[in-house]
Amino acid sequence: MTTLYERIGGQAAVDKAVEIFYRKVLADDRINEFFDGVDMDAQINKQKGFLTMVFGGPNHYTGKDMREGHKHLVARGLNGSHVDAVIELLGDTLKELGVADADIQEVAGIANSVRDDVLNR
Amino acid sequence: MPDILFNGQTIRVKTGQTVLSALLEQGHNIPNSCRAGVCQSCLIQATEGDVPPDAQTGLKDTLKAQGYFMACSCKPETSLKLVLPDQMASRHLTNVLERKMLSKNVLRLRLMPDSPFEYRPGQFVTIWNSENIGRNYSLASVPGLDEYLEFHIRYIPDGKLSGWLHNEIQVDDVIQIQSSIGNCFYVAGSPDQNLLLAGTGTGLAPLLGIVRDALQQDHTGDIHLIHGAVKMSDLYMHEELQHMSKQHSNFFYHASVVEDNGVPVSISTAPLDKVVMAVVPKPTDWKAYLCGDPGIVNTLKKKLFISGASMSNIYSDPFISPDHV
Repeated sequence: MTTLYERIGGQAAVDKAVEIFYRKVLADDRINEFFDGVDMDAQINKQKGFLTMVFGGPNHYTGKDMREGHKHLVARGLNGSHVDAVIELLGDTLKELGVADADIQEVAGIANSVRDDVLNR
Repeated sequence: MPDILFNGQTIRVKTGQTVLSALLEQGHNIPNSCRAGVCQSCLIQATEGDVPPDAQTGLKDTLKAQGYFMACSCKPETSLKLVLPDQMASRHLTNVLERKMLSKNVLRLRLMPDSPFEYRPGQFVTIWNSENIGRNYSLASVPGLDEYLEFHIRYIPDGKLSGWLHNEIQVDDVIQIQSSIGNCFYVAGSPDQNLLLAGTGTGLAPLLGIVRDALQQDHTGDIHLIHGAVKMSDLYMHEELQHMSKQHSNFFYHASVVEDNGVPVSISTAPLDKVVMAVVPKPTDWKAYLCGDPGIVNTLKKKLFISGASMSNIYSDPFISPDHV
């Protein structure tokens, strides 16, 4: 039985997806203000970590990391609509890479599972 | 089984063990986080030995070329000598060979190192004054073409280092510098890739080094250099660069200034990012080097990335501490 991470394509898929995904995020006026002034090189590594996690790959994320990492953004108005936008762009990215719909649903489910941590609820 | 030499200690790496695990086991405090080859927190440099390619997945070419790798993903097959990234720097003595004003406020300083000095054009060094205050300056010279090290020093009112270099330092004086660092340099291997170099003010210094290095290494792809400045008189290498573009069929020089009075048509008065995007509307497979004003560097980086350039092909050197008082 293969895991979600293996079906999507593992580390190679993360490397392929990360730029497509981050480019969509930066071009999206609903959410790109939260990325103003960030170090893009550091951010792309964080995005890789995020994608590895939502693809079901090896990661060391904890709810506490998620809370700490987004606290300053919640203070700037980060809310559920922004999380929805990120999950939508994630789906668009995977569709572009030819990932099966059922797997995209599963990825969206993992992303959705950290929603409360991200929003510090 | 291979050994690693770190901080003067020889450490045996067990079969299947990673460099990170071997170092941590010996009580060395190595920064690390994901332990999956993703976050790059455990970046470390091999000064001797062969690094397995797996341990360099996703790193920029310039980091690979310097032997950097991720300790968490490295199961070494040969012995390695390792240093943490910030332990490399050491000081060198240099003699002032020549000083020349290139514009009203940019000094070209050429220094002769007293011993062989290894660097890549475009990297930067710390220059120290007699009170042990140091500031970073980029290298415009090229090993193999120039025996000296060349820097372009902009005068900053009340700047401790630039004031000292502009007003006090004379030819034959001795100056201390620290070994070179930075990831903004030319890497051979893709001679036909198109290169974009854009910068403001003395951000031109590293870009000039990189262009000359690429041409010296017979780069065949197009090389576009775009220099942005406030006034025409700040385009401190305008004539030399125009001349260079006539000598090399694949080198193109563009200039952009903010002032708009009496500017000849060959110089653009559009903002630098507009000029860059007009020169390279589709940067998808280009390599880009961006130096100078941090705000402009970050804007350019973002625009190039959104237009299709890969982050692994964008090298930048924002001049973050512009000679603070």
